[in-house]
Amino acid sequence: MNKLRTLVPLFVVIMLVLSACGSGASAPATQPKVATLIFTQEPDSMNPLYTNMYFSTILHPLWDVEAWQFDDQNAPHPVLVKEMPSAENGGISTDGKVITLHLKDGLTWSDGEPLTSADFKFTWQMAMEPKNAVATTYPYDAIASIDTPDAQTVVVNFAEPFAPWLLLFKGLIPEHILKPVFEKDGTLDNAEWNKNPTVGVGPYVLKEWQSGSHLLFVRNDKYAGEKAVIEQIFVRIVPDDASQVAALKAGDGDLGIFIAYPDIPALEEAGVTMITAPSGYSEGWFFNLGDKGHPALKDVKVRQALAYAIDREKITKDLLLGKTKPGASLWDNSIYVDPSLKPYAFDPEKAKQYLDEAGWVVGADGIREKDGVKLKLRYGTTTKEVRQSTQAVIQQMLEQVGVKIDLLNYDSDIFFASYGDKGPTYTGELDIYEWSDAPLFPDPDISYWRCDQIPSDEAPQGTNAEFLCDQELDGLFQQQATQVDLNQRVDTFQKISKLMFDQVYWLSIWQDPDIWAVGKRLANVKISGITPLYNISQWDLK
Amino acid sequence: MARYILRRILQGIPLIFIVSLVLFVLMQNMGDPLATMGGRSVTRKEDRERLARQMGLDQPVIVQYLFWLAGNDWSKVDFDGDGLAESYGTRRGVLRGDFGYSLVARQPAMEVIASRIPNTLILMLTSEFIVIVGALLIGVYSALKQYSLLDNLVTTFSFVGYSMPIFFLALSLMYIFAVNFKRWGLPYLPTVGMYDPRVGSTPGQVLLHMILPVAAIAVNSFSAYSRYIRSTMLEALNQDYVRTARSKGLPRREIIFIHALKNASLPIVTIVGLDLPFLLGGALVTERIFAWPGMGRLFIDHVSRGDTPVVMGILMLIAVSVVFFQILTDIVYAWLDPRIRYD
Repeated sequence: MNKLRTLVPLFVVIMLVLSACGSGASAPATQPKVATLIFTQEPDSMNPLYTNMYFSTILHPLWDVEAWQFDDQNAPHPVLVKEMPSAENGGISTDGKVITLHLKDGLTWSDGEPLTSADFKFTWQMAMEPKNAVATTYPYDAIASIDTPDAQTVVVNFAEPFAPWLLLFKGLIPEHILKPVFEKDGTLDNAEWNKNPTVGVGPYVLKEWQSGSHLLFVRNDKYAGEKAVIEQIFVRIVPDDASQVAALKAGDGDLGIFIAYPDIPALEEAGVTMITAPSGYSEGWFFNLGDKGHPALKDVKVRQALAYAIDREKITKDLLLGKTKPGASLWDNSIYVDPSLKPYAFDPEKAKQYLDEAGWVVGADGIREKDGVKLKLRYGTTTKEVRQSTQAVIQQMLEQVGVKIDLLNYDSDIFFASYGDKGPTYTGELDIYEWSDAPLFPDPDISYWRCDQIPSDEAPQGTNAEFLCDQELDGLFQQQATQVDLNQRVDTFQKISKLMFDQVYWLSIWQDPDIWAVGKRLANVKISGITPLYNISQWDLK
Repeated sequence: MARYILRRILQGIPLIFIVSLVLFVLMQNMGDPLATMGGRSVTRKEDRERLARQMGLDQPVIVQYLFWLAGNDWSKVDFDGDGLAESYGTRRGVLRGDFGYSLVARQPAMEVIASRIPNTLILMLTSEFIVIVGALLIGVYSALKQYSLLDNLVTTFSFVGYSMPIFFLALSLMYIFAVNFKRWGLPYLPTVGMYDPRVGSTPGQVLLHMILPVAAIAVNSFSAYSRYIRSTMLEALNQDYVRTARSKGLPRREIIFIHALKNASLPIVTIVGLDLPFLLGGALVTERIFAWPGMGRLFIDHVSRGDTPVVMGILMLIAVSVVFFQILTDIVYAWLDPRIRYD
């Protein structure tokens, strides 16, 4: 046991010595300026065509810049192009079918090769190539052809006028690197560049990516745009929310995202600044209006009654610390929402009155019923904590007006599993579904309410979870997609938002902006809701 | 002995086949890999249909299993979606060493897994080593000095550690030694990761970042081992042969470590032998909290995205190691106890 007596103090001494020297109070002057970003998920692929992941796409402003980016007011500004295409400068043709981009002078990839219109064309070709299992072909599938009259001019031809063109060219792929790979393998699916893109175009270039641990970006001195101030960006993968908060507090991270509302006060107390970035997302209710949904929901009066019965102000105040507010439509805070729309107020008396009018009267057990059917709704969502709390609160609120709610929770890959995979949402096993969603922000388009998206045996991957086919709404959605004239399109969307509000086809629970945490050391940080890290080259360390 | 080992290996092969089939079928119920693909919105209908076809996810489960096992380079697949199967597949199947491509990382599943094995082994083997050595010392001491002050203290301490949920223990350690120690101006430990980016990946840095996760795992699993050793040791010390050894006048150290401990360690070998293969699986919660890039996190991340090739790869690796370590345990048994004969 003598050994033990010496071992234990020895262990303690080693721990203290190691911790003292390793985390040494201040870094020597020779060490580079490194900012540490904390991501709760690891990017899957670096290739912009092969990922749908938020944590992959937000890295593009570092190493593979977009043709244009959006600032902290969500307004677009040119990055690779000389100016934003518009009808006035001839960038958008009068019939809306041709968009012409003029590239800036002297653009190069980080290996010194020139970046030309051919890279734009190649990006489109690879997105549409059947041998490439890309994450999505949208919006490239709207393009009929791309002409490259010279190295700096890209002429994009659409088959139909294409209003959401701002969604194009979110990250390019280098032809001189990937064309040989495609010719050799017949596909880009397994290209080394997808995982290790040593060549990009941006203020930084990826130096190393260690699976599960981190991605390290170093400054790209060949970048034609604004040179970065900070020498290295270290992206650390920290999957646990509580650990993210601890790391931000301890200064082991300089930037975090998707901060849970209850963690905000403690972080602010530790000197961390919060930035709220509107990203188009809204937490809201989808109703099952199909055959398997509760019959009561087909009555607009009942849906309106539900909207009046829920005190959404209280929910945002109690559960979200008043950091956000209830919304009216999926297009809140944009030009696309009818400005007259105000969120349904909390009015339980009106709710009761509407339910009575709809014929759902209170039964002996306190639950409303009609023709022997009880007003009992299945309300499902994912397992996220704040959603579960919301469910519980709403359950109590609706009980006050005689509506019984059963709560269900699923892991998100089960909740969102397709009709073909028998997911509860798309097979209509629930009456009310809650999740946070956005249109194709900054574009207002969204496909969920189109009749051809209703899931069925013929269309097992349909995304119309409401099983709703409203001919007027469907017509408006089809109309806006081809309206290149902004004023006409705004007009159509204001009609859509009004119709969906009046019919309560979707009910906002709260506006769901992204919450970023910026540590004490970082300066000059601005965040966009669309291309969040757009000004990373201006960031500095105090 | 050689014949016994050969027989065990032959028995293991059909077992692994059955395990693989069951796991593969279960895996199909873990959710839809194309539902959101890690994105914030649901995948578009057109993309889901195309990707399901390109990745072979539209095939019946049994066909998918067959392709996973034996590859699809002998069968034609429809790649361009015209309804005609025109080109041969490229997968060679697990039987020919091809575990397929990760649906998430689009890299060979085995490469994805192999990149995490060293990190997991560093963490888990260190923890296991500390747990076994510590448990042996404490277990033997407790058996010799039953109901002494130290025995009682250790018993209490180990049960507190054992009963604490690991996420609570891990986060508490992090808040005490990393967050608050730093705030109080004491020497502090890092919160997350394997090293400080400003210093780089040095052995000292990795060691430093290992202290908290290893402590969390060790405190949590220490008590089971030490209690086990204590009780088998107590049993051995009361055996006739120990009394005989004592009456022969053998030195006390020799009686304890040669006569008693060697015999007492037989059941412990079984437990360690069964635990070792699971070290490969990593520590799910601890790795997550301390952002340690090990297998546990890989497993969770890829299960949540329905990534069958990677998840099956990890599970098969563990299944094969279980079989391997069981055979190894039997061999160690024979070495520890000459009375055991397998032939």
